[in-house]
Amino acid sequence: MKLPLSWIKEYVDVDVDVQTLCNKMVGIGLEIEDVTYLGEHVTNVKVCQIKEILQHPNAERLLCCKVDIGGEIIPIVTNDHNVKAGDKVPVALHGANLANGLHITKGKMRGVESWGMFCGAEELGINADWYPNADADGVLVLQETAVVGADIRKEVGLDDYILDVSVTANRQDCNSVLGLSREVAAALGKICREPDVSYCEGSIATSDLVNVDVLAPDICKGYFMQGVTDVKVEKSPVWLTSRLAKVGLHGINNLVDITNYVLFEIGQPMHAFDYADIDNQHIIVRRANDGEKIVPLDGKEYTLCSDDLVIADNERAVGLAGIMGGANSGIKWNTNCVLFESATFARMNIRRTGHRLGLRSDSSARFEKGIETYTNNLGLSRALHLVEQLGCGKVTRGRISLGEVAQSRTVTFDKRRIAKLLGIKIPDEQILSIFGLLNIAADIDGNTVKCIVPPYRDDIFRDCDLVEELIRVYGYDNIQGTMMEKSRITCGGKTKEDKHVDALKNVLCGLRYNECVFYPFAGKALFERASTASIDETQYIKVINPIGEELSLMTRSLAPNMLQCAALNLSRGNTDLRLFEMGKVYLAHELPLVNLPYEQKRLSVCATNVGFDMFRSDILQVVRCISDGKLHIARSDCDILHPGIAAEILLNGVDVGHFGKIHPQIAANFDIEVDCMYAEIYLDKLFEQARVDFKYSPIAKFPSVSRDFAFLCDEDIDAQSILDEFINLPLVESADLFDIYRGEKLGYAKKSLAITVVFRDKNKTLQDSDIEKQCSKALKAIKEKYRATLREQ
Amino acid sequence: MTIDEIKSSFDAQITKCGNLTELQELKVTYLGKSGELTVLLKSIKDLPAEERPAFGAKVNELRKQMEDRIASKTEELKKAVLERRLREERVDVSRTSCPSRGALHPITLIENQICDLMVAMGFEVLSGPEIETDYYNFQALNIPYDHPARDMQDTFYITESILLRTQTSAMQVRIMEQRKPPLKIVCPGKVFRSDNDASHSPVFHQIEGLVVDKNVTLCDLKGTLEYIASHLFGPQTKVRFRPSYFPFTEPSVEVDLTCSNCGGKGCALCKETGWIELLGAGMVNPVVLENCGIDSKRYTGYAFGIGVERAAMIKFGIPDIRLFYENDQRFLKQFGK
Repeated sequence: MKLPLSWIKEYVDVDVDVQTLCNKMVGIGLEIEDVTYLGEHVTNVKVCQIKEILQHPNAERLLCCKVDIGGEIIPIVTNDHNVKAGDKVPVALHGANLANGLHITKGKMRGVESWGMFCGAEELGINADWYPNADADGVLVLQETAVVGADIRKEVGLDDYILDVSVTANRQDCNSVLGLSREVAAALGKICREPDVSYCEGSIATSDLVNVDVLAPDICKGYFMQGVTDVKVEKSPVWLTSRLAKVGLHGINNLVDITNYVLFEIGQPMHAFDYADIDNQHIIVRRANDGEKIVPLDGKEYTLCSDDLVIADNERAVGLAGIMGGANSGIKWNTNCVLFESATFARMNIRRTGHRLGLRSDSSARFEKGIETYTNNLGLSRALHLVEQLGCGKVTRGRISLGEVAQSRTVTFDKRRIAKLLGIKIPDEQILSIFGLLNIAADIDGNTVKCIVPPYRDDIFRDCDLVEELIRVYGYDNIQGTMMEKSRITCGGKTKEDKHVDALKNVLCGLRYNECVFYPFAGKALFERASTASIDETQYIKVINPIGEELSLMTRSLAPNMLQCAALNLSRGNTDLRLFEMGKVYLAHELPLVNLPYEQKRLSVCATNVGFDMFRSDILQVVRCISDGKLHIARSDCDILHPGIAAEILLNGVDVGHFGKIHPQIAANFDIEVDCMYAEIYLDKLFEQARVDFKYSPIAKFPSVSRDFAFLCDEDIDAQSILDEFINLPLVESADLFDIYRGEKLGYAKKSLAITVVFRDKNKTLQDSDIEKQCSKALKAIKEKYRATLREQ
Repeated sequence: MTIDEIKSSFDAQITKCGNLTELQELKVTYLGKSGELTVLLKSIKDLPAEERPAFGAKVNELRKQMEDRIASKTEELKKAVLERRLREERVDVSRTSCPSRGALHPITLIENQICDLMVAMGFEVLSGPEIETDYYNFQALNIPYDHPARDMQDTFYITESILLRTQTSAMQVRIMEQRKPPLKIVCPGKVFRSDNDASHSPVFHQIEGLVVDKNVTLCDLKGTLEYIASHLFGPQTKVRFRPSYFPFTEPSVEVDLTCSNCGGKGCALCKETGWIELLGAGMVNPVVLENCGIDSKRYTGYAFGIGVERAAMIKFGIPDIRLFYENDQRFLKQFGK
């Protein structure tokens, strides 16, 4: 909310500088987003009086003036022929800056000294809202009362600060000059004056002019109306329009300006109807009919529904309640009777209607934040006071009052709650004085604090609300931190799952992989690039109001984000990529969602410039840091991987993930031209296989014997099948591949696998004969199952 | 050979001897079973009895001399061998490049650092669902459907009642429904809001802290946050509370830290205020406690929610939140230790 400092000063005697004021306001909970000095761009411009005007000797269009700038007479050359001797005008002196960016220096114009320049309104950044006659062309002629030599900013209202105040959602009462002034008064320890709401009523009764029926009291809690007759619609005085200008509004006419003024000052949106346009002297507040049409003041036609609230006469809607008046009932220059409406409409309806129609106004913005019935009467009375002050017409007698009127509330609480919540003790007299500053009438009797809360504070209901009021004025800076000395000791720590995650990350970092973090949603286009099949959008959990289609579907695989990231890195010239992500995929039990989906934790790993064997070793180390279970690697049919370089990890028979080389077609989709290895591990499945109990096993006492073998076999025989034939033997401790040889003399599609087998008996030293017996069994099986034969040495 | 001939021949040979193998051969030639000196000694039987002692003594003296000579020559040669080896094995040790350890993401670094601090204070680390019900994200936190506070956060919806959580506070009620005080919980995780620019990302991370027990006060909240701030940003860091509003805490505060860039003097980073806003916090609203069946007369609690990216941006001087989600490896690698 934009708050002119001069407007606060109408209600509170501010006796500190603006910086101190801002700090105090922040201290009690009003965040200051920005402070602007209105005269910031207009410097060294003074009020001068023209003493003498002569024709320029060398130029017909120019005049040479002698002006008084307050005790000093200086020469000014001007081309404005409207100025007269004796006029007071703004003069920009040497070094001056103007609102339009001009910088003024002393100089000679066609041979005559000119020490500055007369200014028009535009050069000062003002218009007729700010200063009388400021819409005339040329040099701005100032009022007679202007003080010669004074800074022009003081004369035209630019010597003011605008505070942009951010108001929290619970303090709708602070979305007004009055509400903020009350807070400022509390922060400064001053009194906040009440707005003048006095006016005299004329002889015509409001009830004779109009009947009002509220047919939708559920969404219209309060509706108040009073009229003005003998209306004179004219321009408002500058003191009023300049205030509106400072909060960003233009002056329109006195009646409309009064409603805007009350909106900002009191926080009550108002509407003024032209009485002549109300059919049959009857105003009805009702829900719109489905399909009903209205043309508000913006001139466009809107179609309404029953969720919308309208102000209507017998014939038609004359206003969209709380949002905009109808074009058919607005104030015109010849209007002679006006009805002022001041009401409380339900914020959610205003909000929904505004959003649906794409129609917002200062009033609706205010209603959306919530209006309490307290300001209905205050705002209306203030408007009528201004009507009288501006001489716009005669106020009608009596007020139509429908609905509730906010009352003061009594809240009683136990004083010990203060110490219980805050951890500090505040003396009784200080409690009373703080509440006093907030207009809360408080009384302390033993441990009972009784508070009468003013009606505009609809955020205070219970003890903790009042404790908050105390501490924010008492000052949070006055409390000292403590370390929970009076609460019980608890045992902290991470879950087993989080510890596993930490362990995995540690291993991955040790293997030189860098952690990535991605958005867990993306779009269909990305998913399609990361797949060899087409994407069925209906399988995905979908955000109904995404920022864009590309961020609308919750992921079902970590690959799309990772591949996109790899592609981005490669396109930036980053090579040797080693990346991983600990992410989630979102698997619905049913769609559309009824229950929360399963959020499966997964790990994705990606590397370039690394061979399959090296990558496999990395991935298995990752698996092994969690589980020592029985590992089997099968071929995988995962569609994102190269069909010949795709492996599935079975841990104790459970599929815990897959790895391999990215399918060339998918790599091409991402413009990835280098070999790219990828793994995706299901962490929930992996963690289920985590090593739990562990017992020491004795170190072998007897020596091991190792034997090397070379097998000749077909290219498509996997080495692990042959190794497994050894590993499954009782005396074999380990079996491992140490070389693969391919060569012409072996034959087409043949290879030689060189393996080392280590034998050990834990009870004795092995004899050759024991080993032979074991080996022959394995060799026979290998020959039969895989047609692999021992190579001659 | 005579004893003198042996001596001079030995002296000549051992001087020339260049390695341990030759030396061993020399030793055998002179001192072995059939070596020159042994043969000479055996000839003692051919001498008259009275000459034998003197001859024997002379030969033994020579043997002793030769043995000493061989021993010292052995040492000399071994030393030469070692020196040569050391010379030959010399490598260039000057290079400083090495493969770098992979890096944790800065978000993880901050999360770990804060969680470790909290664990040391007895907090449990828990995590919850990112796709959450309206109930846990809003209603149970004292934010009913028509509450103005809903306007504060632009929410991504999946259905009318299921959404992407806008705050880790959604975990508060889940935990309090299942457990009873004393509670000290910290919940890190992703949250979602419909916002996208240099300082806002539609996805970001929060760490929620929640304590509920008897005698938990606002002073405890301040103490806890001071502890976190001083460990995260240095011991000089001061904590400032500003009154604010969250529907699920009362009183509510915004928490500022002294700007780590200028130390509180005022700079561009802190917009000349000397303070940086880091998190929201407050005393758990009794309504929330009661929603979870906890007696708000007996128990009080505090809660806070730290923006992880914001903390990382301040700590590491990262200017744009989008860098966290771009994952350029050159960015990531900087956070390796």
